[in-house]
Amino acid sequence: MNRFPNHRILPYALVMPSIAVIAIFLIIPFGQAVYLSFHRVSPFGALRNVGWRNYVEMFASAEYLFSFRNTMIFSALVIGVGLTIALCIALLTTQKIRGAAFYQIAFIWTYAMSPIIAGVMWSLIFDPAIGIMARLIGSATGYSINYFTDPVAAFLLVTAASVWIMLGYNICFFVAGLQNVPHELKEAAWIDGATTWQTFWVVTFPMLSPTTAFLVFVNTVYAFFQSFGMIDVVTQGGPNRSTEFLIYKIYRDGFGRMQEGQAAAQSVFLFVLIAIVGAVQIYTSTKKSVYDR
Amino acid sequence: MFQKRSKSILMAALVLVLALGGIATAQAPVTVEFWHSMTGSRLEVLNKVVADFNALDPTMQIEPVLVGTYEECLTRFRAAYQARQEPGIVQIYEVGTQTMHDSGMIIPAYQIPERLGETWDFGQYIRPIVQYYSKDGNLWSWPFASSTAMIYYNADHLRAAGLDPNKPPTTWEEMYEYGKKLVEAGVVKHALSYGWPDWMFENALSLHDLEYANMGNGRLGRPTEVSWPNEFTDELLDIWAKMAKDNVWIYGGAEYNANAAFQSGEITFLMQSTSSLDGILKTVGDSFEVRTTFLPRLANPKYARGNSLIGGNSLYVSNRVSDAELKVIFEFFKYLSRTDVSVYWHKNTGYFPATNAAVKALMDEGWFTQSPNHLTAFLQILSGKTDTNASAGMRMGPFAQSREWVRTALEKIANGEDPKAALKYSAEQVNALLAEYNEFFE
Repeated sequence: MNRFPNHRILPYALVMPSIAVIAIFLIIPFGQAVYLSFHRVSPFGALRNVGWRNYVEMFASAEYLFSFRNTMIFSALVIGVGLTIALCIALLTTQKIRGAAFYQIAFIWTYAMSPIIAGVMWSLIFDPAIGIMARLIGSATGYSINYFTDPVAAFLLVTAASVWIMLGYNICFFVAGLQNVPHELKEAAWIDGATTWQTFWVVTFPMLSPTTAFLVFVNTVYAFFQSFGMIDVVTQGGPNRSTEFLIYKIYRDGFGRMQEGQAAAQSVFLFVLIAIVGAVQIYTSTKKSVYDR
Repeated sequence: MFQKRSKSILMAALVLVLALGGIATAQAPVTVEFWHSMTGSRLEVLNKVVADFNALDPTMQIEPVLVGTYEECLTRFRAAYQARQEPGIVQIYEVGTQTMHDSGMIIPAYQIPERLGETWDFGQYIRPIVQYYSKDGNLWSWPFASSTAMIYYNADHLRAAGLDPNKPPTTWEEMYEYGKKLVEAGVVKHALSYGWPDWMFENALSLHDLEYANMGNGRLGRPTEVSWPNEFTDELLDIWAKMAKDNVWIYGGAEYNANAAFQSGEITFLMQSTSSLDGILKTVGDSFEVRTTFLPRLANPKYARGNSLIGGNSLYVSNRVSDAELKVIFEFFKYLSRTDVSVYWHKNTGYFPATNAAVKALMDEGWFTQSPNHLTAFLQILSGKTDTNASAGMRMGPFAQSREWVRTALEKIANGEDPKAALKYSAEQVNALLAEYNEFFE
């Protein structure tokens, strides 16, 4: 039964610090969130047990379902559009062209910018009164775009800004992935008479699948969690809650609206949701990815 | 080897004991933390006021901490109180008044002098402020940065459109007319925007002596429902919707976003808190003439005259402070009420001078003639009613959420949706929140 001969305590002592960190920062707060999700918290901290009411009301709430729907569309766009553009640019910058390295760096450096700064930048560019893009669109089409009031404009603005901020990172990994695709395989395909398009779909794209799977996961995490900073700077969830995605709604309900019990129920549900999404992604990516030549 | 190590341990222990002893025996000043939300140009002014106070007596120190927006400040205070980490003083916006009264976390302001065996005349503060923050005739929070809303306008724009800058609009109908002329003359693309749009809605109600919620506007008991939509809000929002449709009104975001559009001359009229006055004057400089006037009313004569609302914030004291800390807090509060400090605060921020003595001093030195824009809001609120619940300002627990719902309705209206339906939906949500809040007291 002794898994570590001659060392009865030491191995356990060595893992204790990381276990302690995980317990203090993850397990205990999670337990508290679960506990809180069955309570209503008064604005002065008194707890009242309400059973499943927070969960029942959450799924019956039009606001929550709206937020859920918008989060799904947002993540689908960030992942779908973002990765497609990134892959296209990565393919272009890995061609044998003059200054390819320059283009690669030029496209990647946007990732060095914090989402907050990017958010401020985008919100100024599209500011309905003083923004340059709002003005250009206005004079070109006669349509005055106002993301303070137009839910669709706000949603698209946040989505575009998110795609843009993730672009550098995505390109970076795709470029690395593309450089690892062995040239002999492509050459073999060409010799067998495959077109460039066929070569891409049959050779390059499958060889890239580990990279793609990884990026899908990273972008999902961005869409669900890290988009928070961007939302907070650009729209604060508005207008008409069109950009109040699940994570931002938890923050608003828990902190701004002082409904901690309801926010706790939402975060428990989000945890379950992300756990399922993560498990599915890891399962499918490890199964389908072509790791070996 | 062993001896060497034990020696060094001994040394370390000795150093530690000496250090601890040193801390205990030193004449430690009493420091009180002060959490606030004063950003932008107001931050420097506040820090200067606090630094001047700290220089007076080294044993009495106030430590200002900027903790974020008003909303965050309230939330963090509450969380900190539960964790026993709260500051002695916290600045809370007017929206949090009911929550703070219900919280059981504070010493009501009027009890502070009593607890220290001193007296203080609360009659020295200007009436609308005292009224706003009082409960059963007693002041519950210390008056600090009070403001109200007014219209800022670009006089050059009016001249350019052939309008008289000495006759800015006084009614919403005129506002619409002026705005249309300005847009049609090509002076601006949009004529009007608001800061704090939800607060402008509240101001419109109180300005016509109408209550926002039942139970005497929440001043006689916890309200159970809001008064809107009603005939008045229908009439008002119809004009707002019309203004949005004809590009007169452009929705400018939740708080201070619209200021940028006004400062850069993109819009002619800005409805905003007086606390933005100095920031706006400083930014605009000589690029155009900034003037200010009273908030517009509806032309319909059936609505009575009320008053604009007190906004801004006041200071609350945690009920866990020791007597020594309370002494420092009281000295600091007395300092804030000093005429010269009050005058300095007003001149550099645009917030009201809180005391009558400060108003007299400002008048005597000719400040209001020299800078008439600093008088506008003051005249507006002092010339209005103060003896009705509607004009004194509403009070409700889920006030921040109610504002958010009003804002949502206004965003829908600005985007072309039906005003009545939009406001009705928001009212239903707020009523549900009121019921939820009242459940805590069953």
